[in-house]
Order: sequence, then C-alpha cells, then structure tokens
Amino acid sequence: MTSLDEARALLREFPVVDGHNDLPWALRKKAGYDLDALDISVPQNAQLHTDLPRLREGGVGAQYWSVFVPAEQPAPVAATLEQIDCVQRLLARYPADLAPALTAADMEAARRDGRIASLMGAEGGHSIANSLGALRGLYALGVRYMTLTHNSNVDWADSATDEPKAGGLTAFGREVVREMNRLGMLVDLSHVAATTMRDALDATSAPVVFSHSSARAVCDHPRNIPDDVLERLPANGGVAMVTFVPKFVLQAAVDWTAAADENLRAHGFHHLDTGAEAMKLHREFEERTPRPVATVTTVADHLDHMREVAGIDHLGIGGDYDGTAFTPDGLNDVSGYPNLLAELLDRGWSRADLAKLTWQNAVRVLGAAEDVARGLQATRAPSLATIESLDTGAV
Amino acid sequence: MADLQPDSATTAEVGADDTLPDTPGTQAPCSPAVLEQAHALLAAHPVADGYSGLPSALRRLSRHDLELGEPAVDTDIPRLREGHVGALFWSLHPPEATGGDHATTAALEQLDFARSVIDAHPEGLRLVHTAGEIIDARHCGRVAVVLGPAQATALDGSLAVLRALRALGLHVLTLTGTAWAGERGLNRFGEEVVREMNRLGVLADVSGAATATVESTLALSRTPVLCTRSAARALRPHPANLPDGLLAALGTARGLCLVPLTAEQTGPTVHDVADHLDHVRDVAGPDCVGLSGTYDTGVVHPRGLADASRYPHLIAELLRRGWSDTELSLLTWGNVQRVLRSAHSTARAAQHRHEPPPPQPGQPDGP
Repeated sequence: MTSLDEARALLREFPVVDGHNDLPWALRKKAGYDLDALDISVPQNAQLHTDLPRLREGGVGAQYWSVFVPAEQPAPVAATLEQIDCVQRLLARYPADLAPALTAADMEAARRDGRIASLMGAEGGHSIANSLGALRGLYALGVRYMTLTHNSNVDWADSATDEPKAGGLTAFGREVVREMNRLGMLVDLSHVAATTMRDALDATSAPVVFSHSSARAVCDHPRNIPDDVLERLPANGGVAMVTFVPKFVLQAAVDWTAAADENLRAHGFHHLDTGAEAMKLHREFEERTPRPVATVTTVADHLDHMREVAGIDHLGIGGDYDGTAFTPDGLNDVSGYPNLLAELLDRGWSRADLAKLTWQNAVRVLGAAEDVARGLQATRAPSLATIESLDTGAV
Repeated sequence: MADLQPDSATTAEVGADDTLPDTPGTQAPCSPAVLEQAHALLAAHPVADGYSGLPSALRRLSRHDLELGEPAVDTDIPRLREGHVGALFWSLHPPEATGGDHATTAALEQLDFARSVIDAHPEGLRLVHTAGEIIDARHCGRVAVVLGPAQATALDGSLAVLRALRALGLHVLTLTGTAWAGERGLNRFGEEVVREMNRLGVLADVSGAATATVESTLALSRTPVLCTRSAARALRPHPANLPDGLLAALGTARGLCLVPLTAEQTGPTVHDVADHLDHVRDVAGPDCVGLSGTYDTGVVHPRGLADASRYPHLIAELLRRGWSDTELSLLTWGNVQRVLRSAHSTARAAQHRHEPPPPQPGQPDGP
C-alpha cells in the first residue's frame, strides 16, 4: 500500500476538520449568493477551491465555514448575518452532504452519518460592532468561533498586520474573551498580534484555537504563531491549525511578496491596489521574477516544528481555501489533504498521530469549550458591559 | 446608549392628581358588579397586549425584579396578573431613530436583552413563537411573550437579516422608516420583504406607515396584517390613527387594529378609549379589533389606565356599553390568536413551496 492509499484509508476513519474555508464570501463575490449559478454539488474547479465532490475526495469530515466580511464593509454586522444566511441556505440545499453542527457531539454524529459537519466561524471582531449583545446573537445563530481581529485592529484588540495600538487586548477585549468563554464560542487567535495572543491566553478559561496559522520560527511572517505562544498550548488545551497560504508559510514567497509590494509602491501605487494599471505592473514583475511555489513539504515542515513545540495534541489543519489566490503544489484545493497526510506518514507520523491532527484534537477543543461554558453559565449572567464603560477614551 | 439616558417618566396618566381616577369625565363609576363581571370574563379570556415597551424601559434601569414588583416601570408580574394579561408583544423598537448597521446591531441587542429578561423570570414569563405556545404558557400560569415588533430599518435592506432576526425569535416587523415602504407604497424590494415575511411567519405591522404602504401591504400579504398602535382617525386626528377607509379595508383583509391606550391617540379618559374601540369594531368588525397597552413606552395614558393592572376597568366600561362576551373575548384574546395562527400556517404552507431567495437580488456586491 502506498502512503497515499494509507492516507486515504485513514481519512475514511478520521476525516479532516478544517478550521477555515471562505466559500461563503466566494459565493457572494462570484455569484451574489445565487446557489443555482454556482452549484457546489458539481465540480467547480474553474471558479472555486471548494465543492462537494472535492471535499469528499479530500476526506473532509467537518468544516468551519468562515462567515468573514471585510472590516471596510459599510455594514459589517448585517453583512455577517448575510454570510450566516448563506451557510444556512447551503445546509438546506445539500442535506445529504452537509450536516448542521453546533457541538462536538454533532461533529461525531455527522462522522457516523458520513456527512460533512458544518460549523461557522466569524473572522474579526468588527463583526460584532463592539456589542456583546451582537456577539450573543452570532452565537445564537450558530457561530462557534470568532477570530478576534482580521487584518486591521479593532477598538479592543491589536491585529498582527496593523500598527500596535492597544498593545494586545483592552479591558473590553478581555471581557469579550470572558463572554465567549461563557457562551462556549471558541476564541480564535489567527490574525491577531502576538501581544493579543498572549493577553487572550491570560484571559481565557477555555482552550483557544488558531483557525489558520502556521509557525513563525519556520517562516517569519506576522500571521504565524511565535514559539512562546505555541509552548502555552499544552497548558491551555488549545489547537493550532496549520494553514497553507504560500505567502505565510514559505520564506521565499514572503520575500517575493514583499518585493512585489515594494515594486508597486515604487511606482506610486498602494500594495493592495487591484486596479488595471497596478495589476499590469504586478504581472510584469511576476514575468521578470517567477513566484516561488510552496509544496506539501513546506506545510509538513511547519507541522513538524509545531509538533515539537506544542505537542501532537495541539495541532490541526486550516487550509484557508477560497480565501487565498494561491495554494501550494499538491494542496491546490480541498481535494489535496491526502497528499499532506501521505507526506507525514513518510516522515514517520503514526496513524494515531494523524487521527489527532485531522479529527480528534479539533473535536476535543470544541467539547472542552462547551464544558467550560456550562460551568460558567451556572454562576455568571450575560455580560452587560460596554466598551464605553470599560475602555476609557475608547471610540 | 439607552443605559446612559435618565429614567423617563414611564408611569404617567392624564390628571393623575384628580380625585377619582376611575371616574372619568361625565361617566358614572363602574359598579362593583360590572367590575367583577369584567374580572370573570378576563379570567377566561385574558388580554393579549399588542405593544409593550418593557425591554427598553428595563434597559434604562441598573437592576430590576419583575417577579416581586418593579415600581420603576408600568409592568411587572403582579400587575400583569392583576390585569389578567396573558400575552405581551414586546416592542424591540430602538429608543432613538437609527439606521444602517447601527439599526441591525440595536435589534440584535434588543433581542438578546429581551431573551435575558425572560430567562431571568422563568416563573412569570415564557418566550413563545406560536399561538399554541401562548395557550401552553397560559396553562402553566406564565405570561407569554412574543418578540416584536422591530423596526424595518433593522433589516438594513437585506432579506438575510430578516431571516436572522426571525431565527432569533422575531415575529412582528413595523414597515416604517425605510425607502422601500414609503409614501409611494412598497417598492419591488418592499414587496419581496413582505413575501419573505409571509414565508417566515413574521407579521407585518403597518401602524404609522404611509397610506400607500398600508394599502399595498394589505393587498400583497397572504396573512392578516397588524396595526400595533392605531386608533380611529375619525375620532382623533393622529397620524398613526386609521381613517375609516383603511379601517374598513383592514376589516375586509381580516387584519387587526390594536387600539393603543395613549391619551395622545385615543383621548384622556377610559370613555375616549371605549369610543375608539366602539368605532373600530363598527367599521372594521369585531374580528379585527384588539388592545395595545403601550405601557413603558414613555407615552401618557388615559386617566384610570396608568399601568398593566387596569384592563378590568376598561372591560367594565365596554360591558356597560353592551359589548357581548363573544366580542370581548375576541377583543382581548381571540383575534390575536387568530392572526398568529394564520401567520404560522401561511408560513408552513409557503415553506413547502419556496426556497429562501438570495439576500440581495440582482446586487452581487450586496447593499
């Protein structure tokens, strides 16, 4: 039996829980949420990283669908509700493949049924507009993790990719974490500044997740997790879900992206400009300097390191499919997970190790958050705190 | 936000200093026998109150206890029991006008707060979603709470937000404050909203809506429409009061006009309120009239109707005027039951036929 066959056999028993997939936003941008126009029950390779046939091929057994909206969105709360609505419509439309899941028990039930447990994660504190009532609303609608920030700071937490302001979490930020603990919503520390990671680990009484982040010691990018934070996961019980995004995981791709951005700035454009002229310059740059390609081994290197620092009980997978333009060779779309497992088998990972990586750790962490919530709800009422009451001089 | 505002005068009635608050104007006081009859009737057919501002009023207080009695508001469990109130619609209208994402967030907060108040009073209150659950709550000695109306601005122009609010328990939406339900009636998006409300079982409230919007909603809706706070324009020229033509149209459509107990809309006495109820019954029909306490909304109430305990006095006046037991049971309870049942069965039928439409028809980039 080849490693790939063995990987596929293993995934039939312990499928992948993927921490982050941006299909809902892709459906919004590409089809205006018209699920007839972009029907994921048939292959959509030309348009999407994700469809049901490829999820099956990739051995995916549970997916946190991201209900991401950009922080610049004029009405982020309403747009987040639209994203949640999109997931609900997908669940109603494909009931034989997608199983609504709110708990660890729901995930196990979906695995027994051979359906893909579908959970939701919000990506960025801007989705609650500084309101704990809105946070509870998202929980009631089924959201089971919230990434504290996206690419820019929120009023109460610093992002990894913005200028430091709060220096981590503010007092209201810690209250958000406490309220998430009380609800049983996982605190997601992808995208946040290292200072915010540390503050959140200090404030939380439940395990945390990194829904899509890799190791900073392997590739020095702010979106990755520093070793001192990975070292805290055993005590916290949390899970770091390795991501595949080349410009975060491959040093050559990080450097290439920096050079490409610098090229745009040198010509007077913002590095995120996607206008025709900026894109032309960008294409010319890419012709002169080919884009470095990440592979399965790049991601496996991260997992080897994360395993050494955090331990096998604290690893998971968060591909960020349909949330990134480029993907590694061999992990081109959601059908690629068996290739990663095959590489890890070749590196000597045991079947028990891989079961933890793909399924068991991620299910355990949600169950642990539920247990903590049950305990807290016995003694603590919903928090009525406001950012105005806790953060002097804020907003 | 609301927490920072000074407490408003929630308990207010016209001429509260007058010596005989239950003896309005030229009326003779209700005889004890008639009042007793009113209590007996309400014991069998309690009040389903179409509009209560209690959640917003409670948010202004640092703490509250509805179970033991809460003098800072007009409504608490002892007074609800004294007034024979069996069901309340809780308004989620924001305290001040807001639009856009703020309105959506405010609605999420109001829903969350309302649920937490209900959770905190399990002996007295019960959250319900259907007419049947109201009956169950009554059998268990709980006051049923229906969440709504909320303001249409909360949708921020998105059907997905409507579906989310419905999933969080909302059952009534007031079609005011938006461009899609304005002076020229419902536009195409407005029509889509009303159809989706029908499909979801969210009742349309057209109190305060433009005449054209009332008319187009009545024409379009597959289930009866509410006016949660409207009296008779023929008796009192308030903009939210309905002219006879619309009252008759509402009656034809089997909708429900819930007459508010406010001095501004109905007049300063119990007698005035009864005049409005007489008029609405006569024009729209006995199947299409109900009661809307409007307690804890900051308005001034007619003399003798200062809080949620006072319904028997109003019913006594109607008995004195010759309302039949059947008419009274429809007024206090039966009509609201009918409208909720209809909304529910319409929704169930529609959900078999239609999938939810995408939130932004024809607008791939959203609002």
